Amino acid sequence: MRRSVLDHKWAGYVVAVLSVFTLTLVLKIVGTHVNAATVSLALLLNVLFVATRWGSLPALFTSILAMLCFNFFFLPPFGTFTIAATDNWVALLAFLVTAVTAGQLSARAKKRAEEAETGRIEIERLYAELRDAFERASHAEALRQSEKLKSALLDAVTHDLRTPLTSIKASITTLLDEARGRVNGEPPVTLDAESKVEMMEVIDEESDRLSRFISGLIELARIEAGELQLRRRWGVVEEIISAALSRAEPMTKQHRVRLDVEKELPGVRVDERAVSEVVYTLVDNAAKYSPRGSTIRITAQRAGDEQIQMAVEDEGRGIPIDLRDQVFDKFFRATRDGDISQQPTGTGMGLAIAKGIVEAHEGEIWIESGAGGRGTRVVFTLPIGDEDDSR
Amino acid sequence: MNSPSKILVVDDEPQLTRVLRTGLKSRGYDVRVAADGLAGFEAFSDWHPDLVITDLAMPNLDGLELCRRLRAISQVPIIVLSAKGEEKTKVEALDIGADDFVTKPFGIDELLARVRASLRRANAPATSETAQTILDSGDFHVDLESREITVRSNPIHLTPKEFELLVYFIKHAGKVLTHRTLLAAIWGGNYVEQNEYLRVFVGNLRKKIEMDPATPRYILTEPWIGYRFDPGETIS
Repeated sequence: MRRSVLDHKWAGYVVAVLSVFTLTLVLKIVGTHVNAATVSLALLLNVLFVATRWGSLPALFTSILAMLCFNFFFLPPFGTFTIAATDNWVALLAFLVTAVTAGQLSARAKKRAEEAETGRIEIERLYAELRDAFERASHAEALRQSEKLKSALLDAVTHDLRTPLTSIKASITTLLDEARGRVNGEPPVTLDAESKVEMMEVIDEESDRLSRFISGLIELARIEAGELQLRRRWGVVEEIISAALSRAEPMTKQHRVRLDVEKELPGVRVDERAVSEVVYTLVDNAAKYSPRGSTIRITAQRAGDEQIQMAVEDEGRGIPIDLRDQVFDKFFRATRDGDISQQPTGTGMGLAIAKGIVEAHEGEIWIESGAGGRGTRVVFTLPIGDEDDSR
Repeated sequence: MNSPSKILVVDDEPQLTRVLRTGLKSRGYDVRVAADGLAGFEAFSDWHPDLVITDLAMPNLDGLELCRRLRAISQVPIIVLSAKGEEKTKVEALDIGADDFVTKPFGIDELLARVRASLRRANAPATSETAQTILDSGDFHVDLESREITVRSNPIHLTPKEFELLVYFIKHAGKVLTHRTLLAAIWGGNYVEQNEYLRVFVGNLRKKIEMDPATPRYILTEPWIGYRFDPGETIS
């Protein structure tokens, strides 16, 4: 900021001279109406003014100048620096002491105020610096977390791509060696018909696994980008569940499946295929994580006037409470009780996709314990939908 | 006719164990599979296979712990199946005692080549030692007493450390040797982090034994892991 002329120290002395002489002149002109006390008070005010604006030295200078003027012009005999009466000596001395003291005090107060202001500005600067540093650190931490997450996701994706690829490559090269009759110094490769079929089955199944994984990735990417296109139509809940169950039949052969749909359940305005996918995922998970011969129970009922609630319940070992939110994270694959002896077999995307579909319908999905505190019950709600709902 | 070599495959991926069982059986090996480290260790104790192929990430008992437990009771060759990006775990497995590794996804030929090499090393040691003073391996002939070495019948002159390093390589021909293993063996336990020592000595050794040091055929680099020594010709 540019300093004004009045901010310089010498300006204080100039103002002191000008103001004291001007004031003296004015007081002299109206001299018949003012007494010595008035003059001294007016000059004191002048000293205070200079002190608060320019500090102690100009104030001291003003005090002395004012004292001289007071003596010369207003104390008899006028026009000289001599003083006739003793009481005028006292008055002059009192004036000088008061002027100097008041001037120094107000100059000191001004200095303190300036120091306080400087301190305040410094504190504000430090605070701004700290805030910026904190924001930069938070930003860096967020970036680091984001990079860490990306790296973990990349690891999960590459593992899920590489595992079936390994089986496919090993099968193909075995078949190729047999077809080429390669020996490599070893006994000739002999693959009987059954082994060949087995190799081809592995290739077939692992290709399907890759394909499922990639479809899941695409679906998940769509959901995350908010590009899930729902084709909402009026559908019957029982039909949606039946479609999912017939698709899941190969997985549920070893289980008892019980369907329990409330009578006179209203139709729902949903994307039937998407909701059927949710039910299929939940039934598939239930089959994977519960013992053979146990029961998988699917229920559907009204939940208030505007929603229906569906649930898939198994008799497996359940999911610990602290993992019940995490299982909806993509690529999270926990065994149902956190026990690593049980190998998870999914893609780690099913529940994340199911959650995306349910939430796109403005519903909710959560996990609770099954009947009697055993097993897992995955529950989700869907709004029934309005007749004029055109979404 | 010799009885077929017995191979234990330990992997939690059922599809891969299916393929490996069939692929290895088709080459005449006797194969058993286990779905995790614990089952693998039990199968080893019951069956005493000639070679173990194990995955690293497995439930119950992972590949590293399996290697550690196997090494505590046996010198059976161990081949580790690993993925790119698992270099740290791979090195750990090799330091613990695994003999070799194959990176996923792999062709069956690559795995079979490693299986053959490992079995050959185990059945007939890579070096034939005459009265403990002569090492004969592929293109290399070493007299440990006179400290004379010939490569492809040409005598070469090595410094004492280079000599020690080459002898160690020859004695462990075909096996993947981590930087740490080599440094501990030649320079001692205090030098296991000094990879640059090894780089310099391997560089010098290559200049003296390789026909073209820029494209080595004897001392092969396993990136991020260590070196593998191939004595050339045959491993007798």
